[in-house]
Amino acid sequence: MTTLIRPPDKTAPKQQRRRGVTERQRPLWLLTPGGVLMILIVLIPLALALWISLIDLDQYSLRRWIEAPFIGFANYTESFSSGLLHSIWISVSFAVLSTVATVPIGIAAALVTQNAYRGRGLVRAIFLIPYVLPSFVVSTVWRTMLQPDGIVNKVLGDGSTLWLSGPRAYWTLVLVEIWAAWPFIYLMALAGLQSVDHEVHEASAVDGATWWPKLYKVILPYLRGPVLLACLLATLNHINNFTLPFVLFGAPAPDNVNVMPMLVYVTSFQSLRFGLSAAMAVVSLILVAIPLFIYLRAVRLDVHDEGGRR
Amino acid sequence: MLNRKIRTAAALAGVTVLTAALTACGGDDDSGGGGGAGKTLNVLIGANTQFPEQFAAWQKSISDKFKAATGATVKFETFASANDELTKIQTSVVSGSGPDVYAVGTTFTPTAYSTGAFVKMGDDEWKKIGGKEKFNPATLGISGPDDNNQVGIPWVSRPFVMAYNTELLKAAGIAKPATTWDELTQQAKQLTKGDQYGLAIAYKDNFDPWKFAWGMSVQAGNPLVDGKTAKLQDPAVQKAFSTYFGWLATDKVVDPAAVGWTNPQALAAFAKGKTGYFLLTTTTATNSLEQGAVKGKWAFALLPTVPPGATSRPANGVEAASILSGDNLLVADYSKNKDLAFEYVKLVTDPEVQLDYYQKFGNLPANASALQSLASDQRLAPVTEAAQKSVATPFTGAWGDIQLALTNVAVQTLPDLTKGPISTAQIDTRLAAAQKSAQSALDRAK
Repeated sequence: MTTLIRPPDKTAPKQQRRRGVTERQRPLWLLTPGGVLMILIVLIPLALALWISLIDLDQYSLRRWIEAPFIGFANYTESFSSGLLHSIWISVSFAVLSTVATVPIGIAAALVTQNAYRGRGLVRAIFLIPYVLPSFVVSTVWRTMLQPDGIVNKVLGDGSTLWLSGPRAYWTLVLVEIWAAWPFIYLMALAGLQSVDHEVHEASAVDGATWWPKLYKVILPYLRGPVLLACLLATLNHINNFTLPFVLFGAPAPDNVNVMPMLVYVTSFQSLRFGLSAAMAVVSLILVAIPLFIYLRAVRLDVHDEGGRR
Repeated sequence: MLNRKIRTAAALAGVTVLTAALTACGGDDDSGGGGGAGKTLNVLIGANTQFPEQFAAWQKSISDKFKAATGATVKFETFASANDELTKIQTSVVSGSGPDVYAVGTTFTPTAYSTGAFVKMGDDEWKKIGGKEKFNPATLGISGPDDNNQVGIPWVSRPFVMAYNTELLKAAGIAKPATTWDELTQQAKQLTKGDQYGLAIAYKDNFDPWKFAWGMSVQAGNPLVDGKTAKLQDPAVQKAFSTYFGWLATDKVVDPAAVGWTNPQALAAFAKGKTGYFLLTTTTATNSLEQGAVKGKWAFALLPTVPPGATSRPANGVEAASILSGDNLLVADYSKNKDLAFEYVKLVTDPEVQLDYYQKFGNLPANASALQSLASDQRLAPVTEAAQKSVATPFTGAWGDIQLALTNVAVQTLPDLTKGPISTAQIDTRLAAAQKSAQSALDRAK
């Protein structure tokens, strides 16, 4: 693998020239299929959402939605008085907590299944079960178990603990999300571990490194890129998770688990305030995008720069 | 030059893809020639999860009958939940194409009406389906804001009643089921002992709580909506909620686990035979009850119609035994097959088909003569009576929000129910919030 570094160096001047040519005449049209899809699937709906957030679109104006009255930023001001900030706070805290909790579990699980042993395939398969189960199934099963007269309370020997409403509801949401989402971190960490060169293990063995320094100083730096990327994707997934709170708590949800997707859903599909809910969605998009952007700049998620590989 | 050509080609290709995609979104309207032959009528109907096979068979038999009568085919499309249905209506309303006939829940009819996307029934339209007089008059109560602006054609009714355990009541020395809410509370206390409870209530249900609040309030003379004014922050509503919460929090006549129950769970609890009453159920529950431990030991009864805290209904109180519950049929305004749609509506509202549907799925006929023919059934008597004493919830596009606000009062109070009595102040704070959102919904109503 390492010997491959040289040949590209030799041909570098040639490549330089070719790149110069292509930069002027890049076949950009090759991007058309992807570009058209991006426009159709991402940009047009986004533009529509922006437009809808500025008009008074509800059940009364839905039929002639093009003629719905333009009301400027009224939907935005209303969204702040409709509990949007509260919901964003719940969503973000829930997402960050879930991510923080799943990272050690995921990495530990990846380390456990790194070296070959009898039954490793089985363990790996079992670890993936929460990930392959549909979210709907996971939340239905948890909902059944967490009923006041459900199995969890029976095991704890206490029939009065409420898991699905009241102050514990928030922690129930976090707990079930952790249960369902850790295999994602596990998968990404496992992929990172797989790409650690064999020589690295040999070298640390030659240097007589014991397991902890080896893990901490040698292996974990390799995982930094994939795991940071996994953190980002997982947090976004948590923030966007609608099925879990919807099935666990129903709509309307208790206030302390009224996460953003639930609020937008109820506003859209039960109150039929499409304009207002579009404004809420846009505000949340902006509020989530800012820290995301900072995060991306800070961690520079270029996996190939990490660990000095290749 | 080559570059420009390529760019033009790319642009053309892009436009073609875009057009193709947009056309694909446009739906497939195939308008055939004269008569019904070769035409297809699309009907959107709720999926029946309880009896899926029988439901498929029913669809088949209706299809065959319709084909024999008109030459056209009926294509059923099912939705799993009210939300699925709403999404379907929304997309159809926006695009102006979709199902020709919709079966919608009664309380959703005002919302559907407010979109203006459905055919208003004039004399001609009623005539086409066999006349307005063929329906049980009570079922027409939620077809439109007034007699001249009706969109909903009654199809089936599912009036709410309560079920009671005949043996437990007898053992407790109760001669007949309660007719006032206070009497019910009293009997429930008599019935509660050991692992036996007086009432089974679905506190966690997404719809049940508002039905209690509305029912008790309207019996006390407050229909919750007065023109453009919401009247949720009102002593009648306050009393309704304190009674409803009180059963669990103060009187302790309900299993504490009920804070987690939806309606089917409460039904299952009652079916175990350890509960006196199951409030708010309907004929569709019959099969589950017959399969449970209560088999042969239960009966339906009319829900109390005297408001809590009173021994007789006040002068302005309404004898509301149930919300007007069931399904209405709506014909889409954009439909190109309106005549066929009315043929279909006529077919499924005729006595024979209505009775067949009742026997298969337990939904009561909206057809008056079909309903009459069931009057001889002793067990059913309270239910048919409830069908006649059903009262429509306020006909406003804001109703969806109002029922959501009422349900939310219950949802947010649930965690406190197991801790002890709920204070008036607690309920009042929540009612104030509900009043605010109900009023703002009414302000926007057109």
